[in-house]
Amino acid sequence: MAQWMRRRQGTDRLPVTLARRRLYILPTRAGLAFTALLFLMLLAGLNYANSLALFLTFLLTGFALVAMQQCHRNLLGTEVVAAIAPAVFARSSGAVQLILGNSDDVPRMGLEAKLPQGALVHADLAPHTRQRLELPVAAPRRGIVRIERLRLSTAHPFGLFRVWTWVHAEVAMLVYPHPHGSLPMPADSARNAGARARTGAGADEWAGLRPFRDGDSPRQVDWKAYAREAPLLVKEYVQGASELRIFDFAQLGALDQETRLSQLARWVVDAEAHGERYGLMLPGAQIAPDRGPEHRHRCLATLARFGLERGER
Amino acid sequence: MTAVATPATDGTSLRPLLWTCAAFAGGVLLHADRVPPWAAAVALLLIAWRLLTAYRSGGYPGVAVRALLALTLVVIVLMRFHTLNGLAAGTTLLLLMAGLKLLETRVARDQFVMVAAGLFLLLAACLDRQELARAPLYGLQAWLCCGALAVISAPATSARAALGLAGRTLLLAAPLGLLLFVFFPRLPGAFWAIPRNDLALSGLSDTMTPGSIGQLATSYDPAFRVQFAGPAPPPQERYWRGPVLHEFDGQSWRRTPAEPRAHLPRERLGTAYRYRVQLEASNKRWWFALDTPTQAPDARVVLTYDDVLIGAEPLTEPVSFDQVSYTHTRSTQPLAAAARRQDTALPPRGNPRARALAASLRERAGSDAALVEAVLDYLRTGGFVYSLEPERLGADAIDDFLFRTRIGFCGHYASAFVVLMRAAGVPARVVTGYLGGEWIPYGGYLLVRQSEAHAWAEVWLEGRGWTRLDPTAVVAPERLRRGILDLLPQELPARARLLASPWLNELLQRWDAANAWWTNHVVRFDLEAQLGLLERLGIRSPDARSLGWTFMVVLCLWLAVIAWHVGRSIRPARPDPLARAYARLCRKLARIAPRAPHEGPLAFGAALIAKRPEVRTSVLPLLERYAALRYGPPSPERRGEDIRAFRDAVARLSLPLARGTTHDRGRI
Repeated sequence: MAQWMRRRQGTDRLPVTLARRRLYILPTRAGLAFTALLFLMLLAGLNYANSLALFLTFLLTGFALVAMQQCHRNLLGTEVVAAIAPAVFARSSGAVQLILGNSDDVPRMGLEAKLPQGALVHADLAPHTRQRLELPVAAPRRGIVRIERLRLSTAHPFGLFRVWTWVHAEVAMLVYPHPHGSLPMPADSARNAGARARTGAGADEWAGLRPFRDGDSPRQVDWKAYAREAPLLVKEYVQGASELRIFDFAQLGALDQETRLSQLARWVVDAEAHGERYGLMLPGAQIAPDRGPEHRHRCLATLARFGLERGER
Repeated sequence: MTAVATPATDGTSLRPLLWTCAAFAGGVLLHADRVPPWAAAVALLLIAWRLLTAYRSGGYPGVAVRALLALTLVVIVLMRFHTLNGLAAGTTLLLLMAGLKLLETRVARDQFVMVAAGLFLLLAACLDRQELARAPLYGLQAWLCCGALAVISAPATSARAALGLAGRTLLLAAPLGLLLFVFFPRLPGAFWAIPRNDLALSGLSDTMTPGSIGQLATSYDPAFRVQFAGPAPPPQERYWRGPVLHEFDGQSWRRTPAEPRAHLPRERLGTAYRYRVQLEASNKRWWFALDTPTQAPDARVVLTYDDVLIGAEPLTEPVSFDQVSYTHTRSTQPLAAAARRQDTALPPRGNPRARALAASLRERAGSDAALVEAVLDYLRTGGFVYSLEPERLGADAIDDFLFRTRIGFCGHYASAFVVLMRAAGVPARVVTGYLGGEWIPYGGYLLVRQSEAHAWAEVWLEGRGWTRLDPTAVVAPERLRRGILDLLPQELPARARLLASPWLNELLQRWDAANAWWTNHVVRFDLEAQLGLLERLGIRSPDARSLGWTFMVVLCLWLAVIAWHVGRSIRPARPDPLARAYARLCRKLARIAPRAPHEGPLAFGAALIAKRPEVRTSVLPLLERYAALRYGPPSPERRGEDIRAFRDAVARLSLPLARGTTHDRGRI
C-alpha cells in the first residue's frame, strides 16, 4: 500500500500544497457506529412509517455527508512548507520539525501529524498562519535516520471521518556519535610547534579587534567597547599551543570503531566548549583545525558518516 | 464497595464530558413526562453523580456494584411494565442503562456512545409524539448532540464554536434531509410492531355516566378536523357521531357487546355532505363522522348497524378519511323485535318517579311523536338549568335529577330523556359524540375540540325510523350554535377566559391551522402522500428505477452544492486589478528573466537590467509605478485611474528582441 502510494504520488519537493488527488478519506470507527445508528433509525422510521423519525434519520445522514465534505476541506489546501530534522547525538531523541501553513481565510482545526512509528502530534492552524510541529524521532545509533514519509490527517470537525495524506519528503536526520569516553585529550601536534614558538609558550597573545561574525563566542566580544556604542567587536588572540589539537582516529588503536568515534565526539564537544581550535584525522578524511559551530558540525558529521556506504550517506 | 478514584482535571478536559452529559440529559428530558418519574429521576441523578465525581474527584462505584445496580434496575423495569418490548418500557430501560454507562464514561469512545444514546432517545421521542409543538425541542436535541460530537472530537472547541459548527452543518444538511424525506421510498406496511398500549389520551369512551362528558368540557385538545368538499351543514346539524350506547344499569350507559345486526333499509334525505376527517390519535377505536355516514372508509373500519364507525385497532397515529353523510334519514320498515327489546330495556327496579312520569305522559300523548313533544315540553318548562357543575346524584339518579336537582348538562338530559322514552315503551338510545366545531378560516376547516363532546338521543318513531332529538337543545338552545365554553362563561377556567380576547383567539386559530398542516403534510406523509406528491411533480406512475435515478441525480446535485459551499472558503480570492496587471507584466518579463519569489518589483528590475541593460527605459518605469501604487502613499481619489493607466501601459509594452533571441525564446 505504502509502495503503491509512493509510486502514485512520487517524491515530494517541499513546499507542497495538499491537492485533491492525494487525499484519502474513510469513516472512523465512530463514523461506522454512526452509520449503524442511522440504519437502525431508518428501520424504525420505515417500520412505523413515522415521518419525524425518518426526517431525523435523513437529516443526520445529510449531516454526516456534510461532515465528510468539511473533513476533506479541512486538510485540502494545507501547505507543507518544510520538514527538516536537525542533527542530534545518538541515544537522545531527535525531532522532525514540520512547518505547516494555512493561507486561507478559514482555520484548520485538529490537524494531526504522525511519523510511521511515532505518536500523533496535534495542531490547530489559524487563518493565514504557519506553525511548527515537532515530531519526535528516536536516535539510538549514530548514522543517518531517513524519514521516508509522514502522515497528515484530520478527523475534524465531528470525528466521523478521517482524511489523510502521506507526504514523501526526503528528510534525513544526522545522528552524531554519542559523546562518550574518558581518555585525556591529546596534546598539540608537532606541526603547530612553530606557531607556538612565535607567540611564546603558555600564554594567549592580544592580536587585535575584528567585527563580530556569527558563531563567535560571547566571551570574546569586547563588551566594554560595545557599551561605548562601538560596533560589536571581537577580541582576537593568537592562541596558545595547548589549545590547538588534532584528534586522530588512528591513535585510539586499542578500541573498537564505535568507541573510538564516541571518544572523538567527546573531544570535539569538549574542545569546542573550551573555545579551542581542533582538527580531525580519520582514515580517508581530514579536517583542518578551526573552531566555531560550523566546524564542530563538520567534524561531528564526518564522525557520524564514518564508515557508512556511499548509498547510506 | 470498591471505589476508583479519578484525578481532578482542568476545564478543557472536562468539556467533552459536560457535553456528553448535556446530550444525554436532553434525551432524558424529552421523555421526562412519559417514563415513570423515578426512572427520569434516577437518570438525572446518575448524570449529577458523574459530573460531581469529575469535578470533585470523588469515587465511582466498582464493576460489581454497577452490575448489581444494572440488574436491579432491569428487574424493576420488568416488574413495572411486565415486558421490555414496548416503547415506554424500552425507553425507560435505555434511559437507565445509558445512565449507568455514563458512570464509566472516560474516553472519547464512551462519550460517543452516550451521544448515540441521546440520539436514540430522540428517535424514541419522535416515535412517541409527533406534535408540531415538540418539533423545535427535537431540533434542539439534534443540535445539541451534533455539537457534542464536535466537542468530543476536539475538546478545545468552545461551546459557541461547537454550536455554530453543528448548526451550520445541520442547516446545510437540512435540504438533503428534506430531499431524502420526500423521495426515499416508503414501506406500505410495518414489518415489526412494538406494542404501545400506554397512551392515555382524553376522548369519549364506550361508557357514559351523566357526568363523564363534563370532564372533557375543559380540554382544548383537538379531537378531529373536517374539511368539506361542498357546503358545510348549518351549525345545528353538526352532530358528529361517536359511540351509540344502548345498555343502562341505573347509573351509566354502556355500549352493548358487539352483536351483528342487519342494517335497516332507509331513505337518505336532504343534502349529501362530502368531507374529509382528520382524526387525532385517541387510542380509541371510534372514527367520528357526521350524523349518518354512508360507508366504511377503510377496510380496517366497520360501519355498524347503529351508524358508528369502529376501527379494528385503537388509533395511535392520526388518520384521515373521506366520507359522505346525510343528516336526515327515513325508514318505513318496522324495527326488528330484538332491536326493540334492546332499546326499550331498563333495569327492573329503580327510578320509580321517572317511570310514573313516563306512564302519565304516555297516557296523555296520542302517538310516539306526541310523547316526544310532551317529554321535551316537560324539560323545557320544568325549571331545568344547564350547567357544567351539577350536584351529586343519589342512587336513583334519574329521579334525583328530574325531581330534585334539575341541574345538569348534555349527559344528564340525554340520559333522562332516553330513560323516560324507554319507560314509556318507545325505543330510544343515547348517542355520544361532538356537537359543533370552530371554523378555522386560515386552513378552511372545522376544528372539533374535546370540549365539544356532547350526548344526545335517538328515538324510534314508526314511519320515520331513528330520529335524532337533542334534549339539551331544549334546555339551552344556544348550545347548538356555540361551544360549551361560550355558553357558560362563569364556569370557564382562567385559561379559557383569556380566549375571550379576539387576538388571542386568532393566534390560537392560526396555531391550530399550523398544527393541521403539520399533521396533514408532515406526520402523515406516507406512501400514498408520497406518490401523490410525485405525481404533482410530474412523475407519473413512478417505478422504483426511475424514482431511484431521479433521486440519485438530485442527491448528487445537492452534494455538489455542498462541496462548492464547503470548499468556497479555501479558494483564493480573485486578485485585484493591480495584482492582475502586475502578474501580466511579470509574465511578459519572464522572457528576459523570471521573477524569483523573493524579489520585489525593484529588485526584479535590477536583476532585469543586469541581464539586459537596454530595457532600463521601458521596463524600469513600469516596475517603479507598480511599487508606488502598491506600497506608496495612498491617493484614493486617483487610484482607480492610476491602476487603469498602469494596466494599459503593461498591455502596450512590447519587449524588443535582443541579440541571441532565438535561443532565449526557445528557452522560455
